[in-house]
Amino acid sequence: MTKYLFRVARSGSGGGPRRIDTFEVTLADRMTVLDALFAIQRTLDPSLAFRSSCRVGMCGTCALEIDRTPRLACRTRVETLPGTTITVEPLAHLPVLKDLVVSLEPFFDAWKRIRPALRPARPEAVGLALVRPDSEFGRAAQARRDCLTCGACFAACGIQGINPKYLGPAAINKALLRLLDPRDGAVDERVAALDDELGGVWRCHTQVNCVAACPKGIPLTDSIVRLKRALLQKGKFREKLRTRPDARA
Amino acid sequence: MLPWWIQRATGLVLLGYLFLHVRTIHELSRGPAAFDAALARFRSPFFKLLEIALLGAVILHACNGVRITLIDLGLGHASERRLFWVLAVGIGGVLFLAGAIPIFLSAILGI
Amino acid sequence: MSRSAVEWCLQRVTGSLLVLLLVAHFWVEHFMSAPLRRGELSYAAIAERISNPWWQAIDIAFLIVALCHGLSGLRGIILDYGRVGRRGARLATTALVAAGALWAYWGIEAFRLL
Repeated sequence: MTKYLFRVARSGSGGGPRRIDTFEVTLADRMTVLDALFAIQRTLDPSLAFRSSCRVGMCGTCALEIDRTPRLACRTRVETLPGTTITVEPLAHLPVLKDLVVSLEPFFDAWKRIRPALRPARPEAVGLALVRPDSEFGRAAQARRDCLTCGACFAACGIQGINPKYLGPAAINKALLRLLDPRDGAVDERVAALDDELGGVWRCHTQVNCVAACPKGIPLTDSIVRLKRALLQKGKFREKLRTRPDARA
Repeated sequence: MLPWWIQRATGLVLLGYLFLHVRTIHELSRGPAAFDAALARFRSPFFKLLEIALLGAVILHACNGVRITLIDLGLGHASERRLFWVLAVGIGGVLFLAGAIPIFLSAILGI
Repeated sequence: MSRSAVEWCLQRVTGSLLVLLLVAHFWVEHFMSAPLRRGELSYAAIAERISNPWWQAIDIAFLIVALCHGLSGLRGIILDYGRVGRRGARLATTALVAAGALWAYWGIEAFRLL
């Protein structure tokens, strides 16, 4: 059991002036930052507000800035952090609602701009559309579909911090996933959002902070770069997407 | 983030330098005496140090730019950013020394 | 190919060209002849080289490539930081293109004045 000092950002409901509260917590070696936050809430300050859900790195709800790095609190074991003083702050680039709780609206506004839902290319079809894992799309999707929409990449991206119109790595990756999907038919709207001068893929400057922050190891910069290359030949890209064979086995 | 900041900063510095450089070349129009006088000013140790700093800025910007271009072409791993950056700085560092040391030796130490 | 796509592509192309041109330029100005290696850059040395129309063409091309790359980079900075709208972006682009043209003309003029 080790004593840790947690410096936690606090603010009133609806934002307002920020302060740092310091809590001393004794934790077992394998405990996580989320465990610490629960301990603080239960034993030291019941007014501490933070989000969590699954506790096992599946839902993305507990994303926070831990020592100024966006991470999942439930997947950050305190012993892996340098030193015993840990700073916990709300996710960057998002409006703070209270303490460690942020509004994910800007994230999902960008998400919605690329039409994240699958729009069937053949809505009248009745059979099951299969995607073989070893097919071209199957392999491309493997790496990219685990996005938890946790917002860590959004918080890590240096461009997101200065350009609110930027789509962000998660939205762009999702768009690529949908565009590559042979079952999907909504090409034009997505391509328009991605090719946007002010907020599209072109605003990415290959900082690669997103890849470092992603708890699922999604190759975000790779997704963005692939789209940049595809958009160099937008016409051909669109044609290729519209005429690809159906995923039906 | 640091590579990006450096890229932006060196880019602006180099753009500013380009402006000064074109202005200096324009001085050529005032004839040999005036131009050679201007050049003599640029041989002072202070300017030579600035020149070495300029070389540094060029190499940083170029190496990082090449790194980004390789990633964009799909020839680099965007996820191994630290390794890449180290390589770029490593190779860049060697080039920098190759350029800077002769300037330093000849101009500042007079060798 | 959208304008942004062209610009993105051009940055990589001009950047790569500049790497080569800069190495060549460094060599030409500091190592090409014995006096230059000694650091004796002078009006005479430069004027002699620039009187050759091939060198003029190379230098002018160098300036234009550098301007494309630099001003395009500046446009990137403006688009990232400026919170400019679409109209602001167009204004910035026009201003940069104009500045670039003037700058290039200013540079090219130096050769005619020699």
